[in-house]
Amino acid sequence: MKNLKTFWAKIIIFLSVMGPGIITANVDNDAGGITTYSVAGAHFGYALIWSFIPIIIALVIIQEMCSRMAVVTGKGLADLIREEFGVRVTFYAMTVLVLSNIFNTISEFAGIAASAELFGISKYLLVPVCALFVWWLIVKGTYKSVEKVFLVACLFYVCYIVSGFLSKPDWNLIAKSSIHPSFQFDKAYIFMLIGVVGTTIAPWMQFYQQSSVVEKGIKLENYKYSRLDVIIGAFVVNIIAIFIIIVCANTLFANGIRVETAKDAALALKPLAGQYCFYLFAFGLLNASIFSACILPLSSAYSVCEGMGWEIGVNRTFKEAPQFYSLYTAIIVIGAAVILIPGVKLVPIMLISQATNGILLPFVLIFMLLLVNNKRLMGKYTNSKFYNFCAILIIMAMILLSLFLFFTVFIK
Amino acid sequence: MINMPNQLTDINVSATKMFIFFSQLMDKPVLDKTGKIIGEIYDLTVKSSQVYPLSDALIIRKGFPNRKYAMVNWADIEKIDKEGAQLKIEKSVLSFRQIHDEKKEFTLRRDILDQQVVDTHNHKVIRVNDIQLLVVDHALMIAHVDIGSRGLLRRLGFEKIIDSIVKLFNPQAKYLKVEHLISWKHIQPLTINPVSMTIKIDLPQKNLASIPAADLGDIFLDLNINHQIALFKSLNLINKTKIFTNIDFKTQASLLDEMNDSEISELLNNVPSDEATDFLEKLPREKIKRVLNLIENKYSKRLSQLLGYSSDSAGGLMTTEYIAFTKDTLVQTVLDQIRERKFKSEPVQFIYIIDEVQHLISSTNFRRLILAAPNEPIANFAFPKTYFVHLDSSVKEVAYLMEKYKYFAIPVVDDNNVLQGIITVDDILSQLIAFAWRRLKRIKIMQKS
Repeated sequence: MKNLKTFWAKIIIFLSVMGPGIITANVDNDAGGITTYSVAGAHFGYALIWSFIPIIIALVIIQEMCSRMAVVTGKGLADLIREEFGVRVTFYAMTVLVLSNIFNTISEFAGIAASAELFGISKYLLVPVCALFVWWLIVKGTYKSVEKVFLVACLFYVCYIVSGFLSKPDWNLIAKSSIHPSFQFDKAYIFMLIGVVGTTIAPWMQFYQQSSVVEKGIKLENYKYSRLDVIIGAFVVNIIAIFIIIVCANTLFANGIRVETAKDAALALKPLAGQYCFYLFAFGLLNASIFSACILPLSSAYSVCEGMGWEIGVNRTFKEAPQFYSLYTAIIVIGAAVILIPGVKLVPIMLISQATNGILLPFVLIFMLLLVNNKRLMGKYTNSKFYNFCAILIIMAMILLSLFLFFTVFIK
Repeated sequence: MINMPNQLTDINVSATKMFIFFSQLMDKPVLDKTGKIIGEIYDLTVKSSQVYPLSDALIIRKGFPNRKYAMVNWADIEKIDKEGAQLKIEKSVLSFRQIHDEKKEFTLRRDILDQQVVDTHNHKVIRVNDIQLLVVDHALMIAHVDIGSRGLLRRLGFEKIIDSIVKLFNPQAKYLKVEHLISWKHIQPLTINPVSMTIKIDLPQKNLASIPAADLGDIFLDLNINHQIALFKSLNLINKTKIFTNIDFKTQASLLDEMNDSEISELLNNVPSDEATDFLEKLPREKIKRVLNLIENKYSKRLSQLLGYSSDSAGGLMTTEYIAFTKDTLVQTVLDQIRERKFKSEPVQFIYIIDEVQHLISSTNFRRLILAAPNEPIANFAFPKTYFVHLDSSVKEVAYLMEKYKYFAIPVVDDNNVLQGIITVDDILSQLIAFAWRRLKRIKIMQKS
């Protein structure tokens, strides 16, 4: 009886702590992510599924450090970088972060525009409406209410799992290819692999997750639940990514159809997997794009204001936190406006966003490693030797991938 | 707009004295007696003999990436300015070491620059962009902290460029004239002492106590949890009580978790009963029991009784701190007792008149008693009629009566007319504001549809 009681008590604590990890991970499956996974599935079938196992591990290790720093120090990542590395480093890091988030936001609005076309609605209507909704949600909401909306948005990702089942996949083959890495020394394959990893681990995630754990005020004694939140988030996001790959592998790859965008993928699905699969896929894209279009500007405004020492909004008025609201509004306006320019080319935007991510990520990861091992800040909660070994390995791999990606963007 | 108080007014600036920003010293070369470069200026430690702390030692940094640090006493410095520092001693005297953090002194770079501090004048938490130092007889004195955008630009090395661009477009620009400097005497640093886990107060304690309770609560909510706990622990009981009654439940609960039993009992014995019940009723049941056990017996009995009433009834709203005397008490006695006794809560303007078994008879107020003859019984100065509410009266009834008779406080009695407590106007107001707020929202929604 007592065991049962403590079990329920634990569940309740977990539910109160849950959020930051799951939300951050899910935003990761944004318009850009869905595009990458669709293309990966359509071009390479199940051949990339194995890569999600190391990605899950890397994601858990990196995000767990953020969560731990948030709980132990009570400060955001930008706060800590400012306090430990000074204003100059912070300023340049924030400039690149804002740039990269602006381009990411543009691609989220591109996702909204694409799903508008899939549903047969004019993008000149849907994009401004969504931009206004996103803006209103944060300006009028509180942290608690916004988090609830976000968690509901996370639920809608089930769309992809349902559409995965609708496409009647070959489970045996999937199981086999996820255990056996089938590495191909082929240029296109390696590019795709880097794309998949790069879209899953992005620099804004560390800033956002740490800030939202701080905002939630999670206590040290409940830290283990926060870690569970991170782990569940990493699994959920990658399982959904796998299902997107499954849908596309099963239909498009099997029939030899090549696609370049998520919109192409959805359209190609219609005759092959049926109308329901198409609508689920398109709705998933819309949901993911709106959701991420909320979080990216918010995360940028948070990080910049933390780092520069400006008042942070959400619970404040425009007059009290002018920098916060200006930045937040500007990113949304730019994101939506660029998409509404007739004949705008999206490929260069995607490339710039990947390149800026690639520049920033190594720095952020190195800062994190230095901060999390700083005894003065973390006390006895610094990384263990083994954990550091894993983290350094992952960080080195990420740096190599980022550099590679960065150079190829410009060589191409 | 930030209010800039007392800039320079209490520091006597003569021609020989001048200001220098800490950012203008940072990373500048340090020369030894022979004129050889031995490293760069890294940090300053300060000692707090007065309101404005004076520089005490210089921390020199050398080497990259294998950094080493050395401390130099201020007496061994020949001169220090924007060009760098010149020492009176030779390099061989200095001992360079790997770590500089171990020192418990207060240092500018680690403890103030880029850190969050409390501005006790404007009642906000701010981040320090730069520190302005005053050169006083060879030493440096902390004069102001810079929190403006110019401080930021100076740190980034863009100040001159931006200045000239702004001048080009608008020589009269506000940007060029307004400095966002805040006098050090209004700054409360938030460095946490690693041993005691409280805010370091080796610098003169700043006037946190002079901040109104509600603002102090707001400042408090702007801090992160570690700073909240450390600041809370550093305060005296009066300020602790002030803060505790002005923050939200979540923060209250997390502070309670950080306190030991004697601290909890000390605090809650001092929190007025209506605030205490507001807090307690939100705790889980087992915890209420535990906390009540820590409080003085008499007070905890009263609290547990209050917890029994519904929170939107008169019983749930009332506080049990009131002033009551029997009808024959002399005016002088009443006034003396009010003077002597420290009443826990604010409502001293009303005095209730009761019989030997606590039945409410009537009431009077402070004004009447002051004007009365000191040696007459208080009953002679009572109001002709005293209105009251019952324990189960609703918020609406209470508010209606208080408004009708213009009461600042209204007595609450039980079914036998025994005085139980009083409800003050601020308690009713916060209920009504919440109520009006909900109504307003609903009206707005209705208007839209």
